[in-house]
Amino acid sequence: MVKICKASLKYASGDGLDRISLEVRSGEFVYLVGPTGAGKSSVLKMIYMDALPSEGYVTVGGYDSRDISDNEIPFVRRKIGIVFQDFKLLEDRDVFENVAFALRVTGARRKDIKRKTLRALGEVSLPHKSRKMPHELSGGEQQRVAIARAIVNDPFILLADEPTGNLDPKTTIQIMNILDRLSTRGTAILMATHNYELVNSSVKRVVSIKNGTTLN
Amino acid sequence: MLFVLGEGLSGLLKSRLSGLMAVITIAVSSILIGIFLIITANLSYLVENLRGRVELEVFLDDSFNEEKIETLSTQIRAIHGVQTLTFISKETAVLAYRDLFKEQKDDYFDALGYNPLPASFRVTLKESYRTSTGADSVFNSISSLADINEDDVVYRREFLVLMERYIRIAITIDFLVGSIVCLSALLLVSNNIRLIIISKRRAIETMKLVGATRFLIRMPLYIQGTLQGLIGGLLATVFLYGLLKLSAIEIAGLISVNWQIYILLITLGVLLGVTGSFSAIRRYL
Ligand SMILES: Nc1ncnc2c1ncn2[C@@H]1O[C@H](COP(=O)(O)OP(=O)(O)OP(=O)(O)O)[C@@H](O)[C@H]1O
Ligand SMILES: [Mg+2]
Repeated sequence: MVKICKASLKYASGDGLDRISLEVRSGEFVYLVGPTGAGKSSVLKMIYMDALPSEGYVTVGGYDSRDISDNEIPFVRRKIGIVFQDFKLLEDRDVFENVAFALRVTGARRKDIKRKTLRALGEVSLPHKSRKMPHELSGGEQQRVAIARAIVNDPFILLADEPTGNLDPKTTIQIMNILDRLSTRGTAILMATHNYELVNSSVKRVVSIKNGTTLN
Repeated sequence: MLFVLGEGLSGLLKSRLSGLMAVITIAVSSILIGIFLIITANLSYLVENLRGRVELEVFLDDSFNEEKIETLSTQIRAIHGVQTLTFISKETAVLAYRDLFKEQKDDYFDALGYNPLPASFRVTLKESYRTSTGADSVFNSISSLADINEDDVVYRREFLVLMERYIRIAITIDFLVGSIVCLSALLLVSNNIRLIIISKRRAIETMKLVGATRFLIRMPLYIQGTLQGLIGGLLATVFLYGLLKLSAIEIAGLISVNWQIYILLITLGVLLGVTGSFSAIRRYL
């Protein structure tokens, strides 16, 4: 599935990751916690191959960071769903088009696009808002659209970088419930957060990271 | 594929002002280049015409008999670069002279009592020899013939040299103006695409995240650049066509353009659009 093995990453600033190892199996829900600047986002970046390790390796569903070519990276991304703290929705198109975007980009057929998009919106309980523009939605709703877009391609893993960072506690619970449901259906989830309260109240696997190294 | 076309088109519509600027620049550049091309075409047409009139005159001594003249003419005809040779007898020369000075009342030849004009050959040159060097080589070959004196071969060398100098200057100006105009058009197109890339930064980032290939990200920008070029080129064609229709009445006969120039303008516009977007994509994406 996803395996990071003794991977190091060096930024020009001198920061980075130092021989990180982490494995996520299918359907697993893993929290990645650590103080700000610890390297959580960097770990996720290595998984979606936005940054390749200088030492060690990362394998993602058959692709290996040691011998991947630039042309293959888009195809890695199609097997991964990614959600960010700031949603990253496109403001110039409505909810439906935002979700469908991930399908159109892969050259999916029109009929499939409609069916899959509506199904993904169903997963986050938003089919009735499909013709709304992003700015007409609340933060929680926008994040749900982002999740719908992330899962519309049926990824085997969903990477979530502080997905609840901008949301109030009630909305946070709503989003967490959606992620839980996805994981029980078989989608692995790796969620970076520094919300220790959230992590402590759950029984899921937790990987801590500090100063660029994993602690357990 | 449909997605790519759609993104390219909607990008063009959304970038109204800067897109319009790019289209107008391409159109203006193409028009300027078109005008220069027309001027150059006319110029070279004129030059070819003038070159065609370059000929050498070989004056023949009165003592030469018919047989000798016959041999000489065969020899000259055999020289590389000679196209035609016409014999002008003393009598024809007089007729031509009279024709030239027909308003003169008293005839000079009657007063003289004999014909002082020599017989001559009029030699025209093959196309590739209608240059100062070409004419020189023919001149040398003729004057090196036995019985022909260097002073007896005459042609307008200075005229040829001068004409060649002016053509060089004209071509240089053409080239300079053309490249400056093209360069500024390229800069504007490239800048327009840069603005589009900046304004679409988030969309491009999202495209990369959801697994769009390089082709899919870049193609809409290329399409947009190409469309801008095409529209610019078409505008230039329409403008230039109109301009020529109007001016043809004024300067009839001078301007001779064929339809190829319009194809060239449109191609030029498209080329400017493509190269402009290419350089912007290389640098900013
Ligand atoms: N593109 C980059 N160039 C240079 N340095 C970077 C870059 N991205 C991250 N860093 C540095 O690497 C370190 C780890 O950053 P990272 O974003 O992975 O931390 P994080 O755990 O996600 O922090 P946060 O909780 O604030 O999001 C930080 O010190 C950061 O400044
Ligand atoms: Mg981070």
